[in-house]
Amino acid sequence: MSGAAHAGDSYLTHGRGLRSWLLTVDHKRIGVMYLGVIVGTLILGGVFALALRLHLWNAGGGLVSNDTYNRLFTLHGAVMVFLFVIPGIPSALGNFVLPLQVGAKDVAFPRVNLLSFYLYLAGAVLFLVTLVVGGLDTGWTLYPPYSLEGARGLGILIALVGVFLAGFSSILTGVNFIATIHKLRAPGMGWFDLPLFLWALYATAIIQILATPVLGITAALGFMERLFHLGLFMPEYGGDPVLFQHFFWFYSHPAVYIMILPAMGIVSEVVSVFSRKPIFGYRFIAMSSLAIAVIGFLVWGHHMFVSGQSQWANLVFSFLTLLVAIPSAIKTFNWLATMYKGAIILKTPMVYVLTFFAIFGVGGLTGLFLGILATDIPLHDTYFVVAHFHFVMVGAVMIAFLAGVHYWWPKMTGRLYDERLGVTSAVLVFLGFNLTFIPQFIVGIAGMPRRYATYAVEFQGQNRLSTVGAFVLTAGLVLALWGLLASLGKAGARAPRNPWGAASLEWQAESPPSHHNFEVPPDGVSPYDYTTLKELPGDQGWVVVGKREVA
Amino acid sequence: MSQLHLPLQHLLLGQTSYLPERASSVAEGADHIFLSLFWISAVSLALIIGVTIVFVVRYRRRPGRMDPEASPDHSTRLEIIWSVIPLLLVMAVFVASTQVYQAMVNAPPGADVQQVRVSAKKWSWQFDHPGGKKDKDVHLVLGQPTELLMISTDVIHSLYVPQWRLKQDVVPGRYTRLLVTPTKAGSFPIVCTEYCGTNHSQMNAVAVVHADQAEYQAWAAEGRGADLSLVEVGRKAFDDQGCSACHAVEKPEGQDDGIGPSLFGRWGGTEQLVGGGTAKFDENYVRESIVKPGAKVVKGYDDVMPASALEERELLGLIAYLQTLVPGRGQDDGEQGERHEQGERKEKAQ
Repeated sequence: MSGAAHAGDSYLTHGRGLRSWLLTVDHKRIGVMYLGVIVGTLILGGVFALALRLHLWNAGGGLVSNDTYNRLFTLHGAVMVFLFVIPGIPSALGNFVLPLQVGAKDVAFPRVNLLSFYLYLAGAVLFLVTLVVGGLDTGWTLYPPYSLEGARGLGILIALVGVFLAGFSSILTGVNFIATIHKLRAPGMGWFDLPLFLWALYATAIIQILATPVLGITAALGFMERLFHLGLFMPEYGGDPVLFQHFFWFYSHPAVYIMILPAMGIVSEVVSVFSRKPIFGYRFIAMSSLAIAVIGFLVWGHHMFVSGQSQWANLVFSFLTLLVAIPSAIKTFNWLATMYKGAIILKTPMVYVLTFFAIFGVGGLTGLFLGILATDIPLHDTYFVVAHFHFVMVGAVMIAFLAGVHYWWPKMTGRLYDERLGVTSAVLVFLGFNLTFIPQFIVGIAGMPRRYATYAVEFQGQNRLSTVGAFVLTAGLVLALWGLLASLGKAGARAPRNPWGAASLEWQAESPPSHHNFEVPPDGVSPYDYTTLKELPGDQGWVVVGKREVA
Repeated sequence: MSQLHLPLQHLLLGQTSYLPERASSVAEGADHIFLSLFWISAVSLALIIGVTIVFVVRYRRRPGRMDPEASPDHSTRLEIIWSVIPLLLVMAVFVASTQVYQAMVNAPPGADVQQVRVSAKKWSWQFDHPGGKKDKDVHLVLGQPTELLMISTDVIHSLYVPQWRLKQDVVPGRYTRLLVTPTKAGSFPIVCTEYCGTNHSQMNAVAVVHADQAEYQAWAAEGRGADLSLVEVGRKAFDDQGCSACHAVEKPEGQDDGIGPSLFGRWGGTEQLVGGGTAKFDENYVRESIVKPGAKVVKGYDDVMPASALEERELLGLIAYLQTLVPGRGQDDGEQGERHEQGERKEKAQ
C-alpha cells in the first residue's frame, strides 16, 4: 500500500523534460503549473503590499511619490484579485483534486484545460507588461472617467486585455468543472456523495460561467470607449460612468464568492477529516453554497450606496445583501458542530482552519456594517472597507488556500512537510494578519479614507502597527513556503497514500498519483465515513480495514 | 486644512468614544446602528472563538481518547434555529437602519432647505452659497437643513464629513445630493473618498458651521469679490445663448407663444413628455435638456432645440436662474443677489 513502491511511475515522472510539462493535458500537471504561477503572483502582490505599508509608516508618506503609491496599490489590488485570489483555489487545487475526488482520469476537456492555463498566463504576463510601460494608477476597480482618460496611456488598454484573458481562463475552468462533475463521477457516486469541496467548486463554476462574461464584456467596452469614444461610460462623449460601476460589480461582487466558496469547500474537508467525524449537516452546507451563488448575483448594488443610485434601489440591495449572511452563518455553525465530540487532530491544515473560523467570523460580521445603509454611508470607502475585504479575501481565502496546499501537498508531491514548521507558520500568519488589519478597522471608523498616499497624523500609530503586522505576516508566509519546499529535498519524508485518514477518493490514489490517477477505476464511496480507517504507526498513514460502505 | 483633527481613541483601551464626534442630525442614529451591530458581532465572534477553543481542548485526539464519540451528523432543528436567529437579528437592524437612512436622504416635510451648489474637480472643491458667495470651503448655519447639489467637472469624487456620518459621490454628467442638518457649530474636515488621482489624499476642504444666521450673514457679506453670483451667471448664459428666442421667462404656459415651453413657474413641476411618460422638472432634467435636448421633449413641442456647449458652472447657473422664475420660492436667491449688488455699489461709491 505504500506510495514509494510506485514512485517510479507517478505523474511527475511520466514524461520528462520541459516540453512534456508545457504541452501536458494532465490535470495534475496543469494544477501544479497553476500553483507555481499563482504563488509567483502572490509573491509579486505581496512585495507591492510591503512597499505600500512602508510608505505609510509616516503620515506624510515620503518613501515614494503619490503617483508611485497610486500605481503600487493599483497593481497590488489587480494582481492579488485577478491573478491570485480568484483563480487561486479553483485553478491550482481544484484542477489537481477535482478529477481525483470524482474518481476520474482527468477533467472532461483536458485540452481546454491547458488552453485555460495559457490564457491565465497571458493575462498575468500582460499585467507585468503594464508595470513595464509605466504602471496603472486607476485602482483595481478601474472606474471611469478616471481610468479612461487619455492621460492613462497604454497601461489601461493592456490591463483591460489582461483582465479579459484571465476572465476567459476562469470561464473555461468553470465549464470544465461542471462537465466533469456531471459526467465523470465514479460509478455509484450520487450528488450527495460528492465531497463538499466539489459542491463548492460546482457553485463557484456556476458563478464563473454566468458572471465572468460580464467582466469580459465590460473590459471590451472599456477598451472600445477609450479608443473609439462610443459614449458608454464617459460623460464627455455622452456616456454614464455609473453604468460602468453596475457592470463592474455585477461581476466583481459574485467574484467575491468565486473566491470564498472554494475556500469554504477546503474548510469543510479539513474540519471533518481532522475531527475524525462526518461533516455535520452535509446537505445544508452543500445547499448553502448554491444559495450563496444565487443570492450573490443580486447584491452588487451594495458597492454603490453612495454613487447616486436611487434610495429604493439602495434599500433593496441592502436587504438582499443581509440575506447572504445567513448561508454563511449556517456553514460556520455546521463546521463547529462537526468538531463536537470529535477526535481533533491539530495538524497544520487544521490549525489553519481553526484560525479561519475567527478571521472569517470577523470578515463576515464586519460585512454587515457595510450591507446596512446607516453604517455603510459613513464607512464606505474608508479603511474599514479595506480591513473588511482583506479579512475575507486575504484572511479567509488565503488561509484556506494555505490549509488546502498543506492538506493536499503529500498527494501532489509524494512528500510530507515538516509539521512544526507548518504549525508555526499558521500561528505567525494568524498573528501577523490580525496585527495588520485590526488597526485598519479602527482608523476606518475614525474616518480615514482608503487609497490615501498621505494621511492625518492622528492615524500614524495605527498605521505603524499595521506595517509591523505586514512583516510578521510575511514572515509566516515565507516560513510556510520554506517548510513546503524543504520537503522536496532529498531528506523530505515520503508520504503514504493516505496520511490524514481521509475517506474521499483522492486518497485511494498513490502519493503522488500515477499518470492515470487510478489503476482500477474506483467506485463511489461515502466521502466522510471514517469507521473503516485505521492508523498505522509512524508516518505510514491510514489504511482501510474491513469493507468500505459503498455509496 | 492640511491636517485633519479627528479624535482617535483606542478601541482596545475600552473607550467607547472612538467614533468621531457627532455633528449632524443623523450622526446619533447612525452610531446607534453601528453600536448595535458592534455588540451583535462581538457576541457572535466570542461565541465562535469560544466554542472553537472549548471543542479543541475537550475533544482533542489524545492517548485514551483516540476515536470520536457517537453524535448525530445532522439536525434539521438546529439548522433552523441557527438560521432563523441570525436572520431575525439582521432584519431587526435593517428595519432600524432604514429609519436612519430615510432621515439621511430625505428632508422632513415642510423643512426650509437651503441649497449650496458644489462643483468638484481634481483636487479642489467650489461651493456656491445662497446669496451668491463662492468659496473653496462650505459655510452652513447651525440647525439649517441644507442640500449640497453636487457635480464634478472631471472624474468621480466623493464628499465625506466623518463628524456628519454623511458621504456622497460627486459624479460628472449628473447632479447628486447630500442633505445635512448640522447640529454642532465649528469647523469640520471635508475629505475626498473616491480615488481621483495624484493628490486624492490632499483634496480637502472645511465645512464651517456658523452658530447663527447673523454670523453666517457677516461671513457672506465680507469680501465678496467681483464674481457674478450663480443666478447672474445663469441669467447671462440665458441671454448670451439666445434661449429667450424660444422660451418665455415672464409669462406662464398658455399666455406665451414660444416655440419651446415657457420656463416660468415650471420649477419642481412634472412635465408630460412626447411618447408618454413624465419627468420631474429638477436639476438633472434641466441639465439633460440643455446638454441632450432631444432626450426628453415636452408634449406639444417639436424636437428642434440645438444642444449647447456650456461650462458646468453655466449649467449650474441656469438651474439656479430657473429656480428664481417661480413666484415665492426662488425669490430669496434673487433678492439676496440684489442685496449684494447694492452692497458692492456702496463699496464702490466709498
